[in-house]
Amino acid sequence: MPQSTGVIVERFEKALNDLDQAQPFVKSKYQTDVYQEANRLIEMEDGLEHLYKHANQFEQSGVFQDGPWESADKLQPPLVAGSLKAKGLPTIIEVLSELRMLAIAKGDATNPTVSKEMAEEFLNEVMVLNLDILFPDASESSRVEDDSGNSEKAQKLFQFLISHLSSKALVRTLISEIERLTAQRPIMIKRIVSMIQTAKQMTNADSEPEDQEQLQTYIAALEGPSPLSHKYKDLHTYRSQLKDMERNDLISESVSLAKSMRTTGLVAPHHATLIRFLSKRMPGLLTYALGLNSKGLANLEENDELVRQMIKAAIFPATRQAIYGLALMLERGVLSHSPVAPGLRRLIELDIRPEVRKDLYQASQAGEGLTANSILVAGTIQVLGQPLGVGQGFNPTCQAARGISLWAQHAPGFLLEIIPRAARDGDIDFTFEGQAINSQHLSGGLAPNLHTELDPVSLVLVPHLDRIYSEMMSRVALRGDDGHRWVNPAFYGNWVQKGFNSAFDPLTGYVLDYPGFVKLFYATHHPEYNDDYELIYPNPVGIFITNVHGKLLGLHAISITRIAEGPDGEYRVFFYNPNNDGSQNWGQSIEPSVQGNGEEEGESSLPFDEFTSRLYAFHYNPYEQGDAYAVDTAIVNKILTLAKESWGKDYTWV
Amino acid sequence: MELDQMEVNTSVEQSEKKPETKPYLTALIGWSLQAIEAAARMERPFVVVGPPEFESYAEKHDIRFVGWDFNKLNEGSDQLYKKLNALGVEVAVPLYEECVEWAGALNARFREEPRIFNRSLLLRDKGMMKRKAQIAGIKVGVFEEAHNKEDIERFLRRVNEALLKIDGDVLDPIHVKPLDKAGSVGHLAIRTVDEIDQINDTDFPLLMESHLDGQEFSVEAFIHKGKVQFLNITEYVRLGYSNFVPASPSLREKRPLIEEAVQQLVDAFEIEYGVIHPEYFITPNGTLHFGEVAARVPGGHIFELIERAYGFSAYEAQILCSDPNTTPEELELFFPNPYDYQGFAGCLMVHPQREYVKDLEVPEELENHSYFEKHDLFTPAQGKVAERIGFGNHYGTIFFFGEDSEEMRHLLKEYEQYDFYV
Repeated sequence: MPQSTGVIVERFEKALNDLDQAQPFVKSKYQTDVYQEANRLIEMEDGLEHLYKHANQFEQSGVFQDGPWESADKLQPPLVAGSLKAKGLPTIIEVLSELRMLAIAKGDATNPTVSKEMAEEFLNEVMVLNLDILFPDASESSRVEDDSGNSEKAQKLFQFLISHLSSKALVRTLISEIERLTAQRPIMIKRIVSMIQTAKQMTNADSEPEDQEQLQTYIAALEGPSPLSHKYKDLHTYRSQLKDMERNDLISESVSLAKSMRTTGLVAPHHATLIRFLSKRMPGLLTYALGLNSKGLANLEENDELVRQMIKAAIFPATRQAIYGLALMLERGVLSHSPVAPGLRRLIELDIRPEVRKDLYQASQAGEGLTANSILVAGTIQVLGQPLGVGQGFNPTCQAARGISLWAQHAPGFLLEIIPRAARDGDIDFTFEGQAINSQHLSGGLAPNLHTELDPVSLVLVPHLDRIYSEMMSRVALRGDDGHRWVNPAFYGNWVQKGFNSAFDPLTGYVLDYPGFVKLFYATHHPEYNDDYELIYPNPVGIFITNVHGKLLGLHAISITRIAEGPDGEYRVFFYNPNNDGSQNWGQSIEPSVQGNGEEEGESSLPFDEFTSRLYAFHYNPYEQGDAYAVDTAIVNKILTLAKESWGKDYTWV
Repeated sequence: MELDQMEVNTSVEQSEKKPETKPYLTALIGWSLQAIEAAARMERPFVVVGPPEFESYAEKHDIRFVGWDFNKLNEGSDQLYKKLNALGVEVAVPLYEECVEWAGALNARFREEPRIFNRSLLLRDKGMMKRKAQIAGIKVGVFEEAHNKEDIERFLRRVNEALLKIDGDVLDPIHVKPLDKAGSVGHLAIRTVDEIDQINDTDFPLLMESHLDGQEFSVEAFIHKGKVQFLNITEYVRLGYSNFVPASPSLREKRPLIEEAVQQLVDAFEIEYGVIHPEYFITPNGTLHFGEVAARVPGGHIFELIERAYGFSAYEAQILCSDPNTTPEELELFFPNPYDYQGFAGCLMVHPQREYVKDLEVPEELENHSYFEKHDLFTPAQGKVAERIGFGNHYGTIFFFGEDSEEMRHLLKEYEQYDFYV
């Protein structure tokens, strides 16, 4: 006979009371029993309600004492998912910690360091970051990956939280998260789409009218932003409606869809139907449907036939996001590079290897009847149109993503050379210091098990690029200097400058002459000190990634795209961050922005000094140095303090 | 803290405080939250001498703490006495195996009785321990110290020759264990010559002894002024996996015999204060064989089981008995009648039975059994299981409590087979 909830509740209360009575130094001895009984309750129906009744006592009783959850104000929403997935003890404590936060948020408990609002904000953030738990999708990956009963516990927790939290605030948080993400215009929009869908499910009569309106823009962008597409959701009907329309109506339909795409970066499936229709019947209207500027129009007219060929081969409802890529590609004038047109044409008929074909199919939605070539061409259009929208996904392959982005900007011909090499030949070759490196002969790399939620081009290239980069790094590993000095120019291309400086010595890990490092960066990059040399090609630099408390998390590869004045007249560093989440909080109130400070789509930016404080290595042109000595000591000292009090704690300073 | 730094500190403190500071401090040698809790509950002023890694924890919780590396033995070792003396410590209580001789050395200085240290060394060398027992007329198995693999092979052959085994007979096993490790750490049964190769050259010197048949049990004896004040018998169901307190009626019948043997051991080893934890084998006809003895907190959660069965804290008892100043009245008041227990308290230590685990399965019948009290098993982080060292590092423990020792034994046996980690 299973034990009744009452018995367990009593046992939990006893355990909690024993813990409460225990001396502060011996709490850990009594915590185990609390966790055990709590675990039994979590698994029971209404168990969370019973636990919540005591949530106001958790903290003072010592439930979290001496563990990672001890200080409520130091908890971070992004870490919640990891604990919930970790199974066992971390899950149990995480659930209890969320209940503590809920008690604070609802005013049932007070905390000296966390206010009601902070707790609510924290929980909202947690919910938004874990939408997949809240509204599980039935995708293959979530099925395969989740074989434990833990997602059930997590789901229970989130259902419980949502029933206690104000949906208003949650919707508000969701919308600002959607805004933040769409501002960066990533190629992969899966997360954005699932957030919009969630927000849609959660809005109700109580929601703020403003929020509803704003959300409506996003929902429409996905489902049908024009009156006609809104009316005829079904693509077949929509298509047959198009046939009967006058030129003027088609123009206004085109303008309407293009406007939605341009404001949100999201493309409705109808848009693909429209583009295909226009391409066949009225190619003259394509410019309206793409919302092209004059440069884009000129490029379209110049390459009319190729564009129509690509539309035919690659623009389908399933690849609709490529329409945005196509529009931007035309405006960037990429097709005017002579190798691009033949390069794209080659992809349409490329003989793709079976395993690559399989990967491409798996990464796209099933049941759309697409060929692997269509997927690949659409992906290539996207990368060429949105070079800063390339992301590394869930892989530690920032170098490869940075390469693809860089080539898409400045060497599209090269990119179009290596895509078929990988897709058709299963190999990419680089020459490094006179020796050939063939990816097909290499194993390992940073991502032997690539997470496949990637754009098609990355999916094809990253496994090769990652291995080549690793191989190059291992060939220079023993040279006593940061290997990026030699590897970056060889890997990314000759436009990476040969001068190189690093904040710490890679052999000893000691930070040497940091003020000199800072001054050199100013003298080579800051327009006030570098004799006005402009940054011409993106500069691949290394940064210390720190968390919200400034604690070092690791090293990361990004590219500086430009240095320019922000709206307030202060110089800012604009950069591309391949993690597709360019506005994480790096601590010490250093928070990269992705919009509002003059960023282009996909760029992040920081004030020059704040950026410098996280930099650890950069390239420079030794012939374009300005006046390092002129850099104000106050600036150097400020950066030195920021560095020492964040990542610097993990290094020895000499 | 560096040694030279400490020197500066102690000299300053020494000049401020007299060694006879009252009330005096008790030093807990080792790190055990239960012991610290007991000392605090007794409202005794105390200081913990523990591995330096606990320093920040102690500081956070205002526990008086002296960081000490027990593995480092050199001319600086005297500093510990000086430091503790300056603090006003008069009693040292060992908690771990590795701390026994440190506590011995300290108590020898505190009481100005050098021999206390030598006695504590006796408890730290299984070879010396056996020899001492043998000299005192206590029944032990045949034993020898081994310095290399040839010694072991010779011992295995000689023991079996003595047992009149001839070629082709299955050999009687011998047991080897390191001279100075706790309990079952490094213990190995050798049945064939080939098995000798499992032993690493770095494990020597070892104690070898002949196999003893019979039921194994342990005794926790609390000793004050050389007299056993309280004696608990812990019945082993399977060594290292399960035991319960107090002993079942059949073993309890032998209690007078056991009490006599333990007092004999205490006398032979000249143990005056503290707790000892000897292990014995008893044959069906009532012959006792002495296995080994330790003078510290026993493993197998035995102290917790004693507390559950008898209702007194064994940690408090250890501290009380370690202090020569404790009065007979205090002891009288503290210890219950050994026949006066509230029930049988048992535990099962669970270690995964496979190499790779990813989940925990605790059967409902177990949780619903009226003897079931609690467990501390959690779903493990998925992964490879570490090899078991001695009988330590078990993944978790299941605690039982009930009226009937037979039902207890049955439960412990039944679930010992159960695969909790899958």
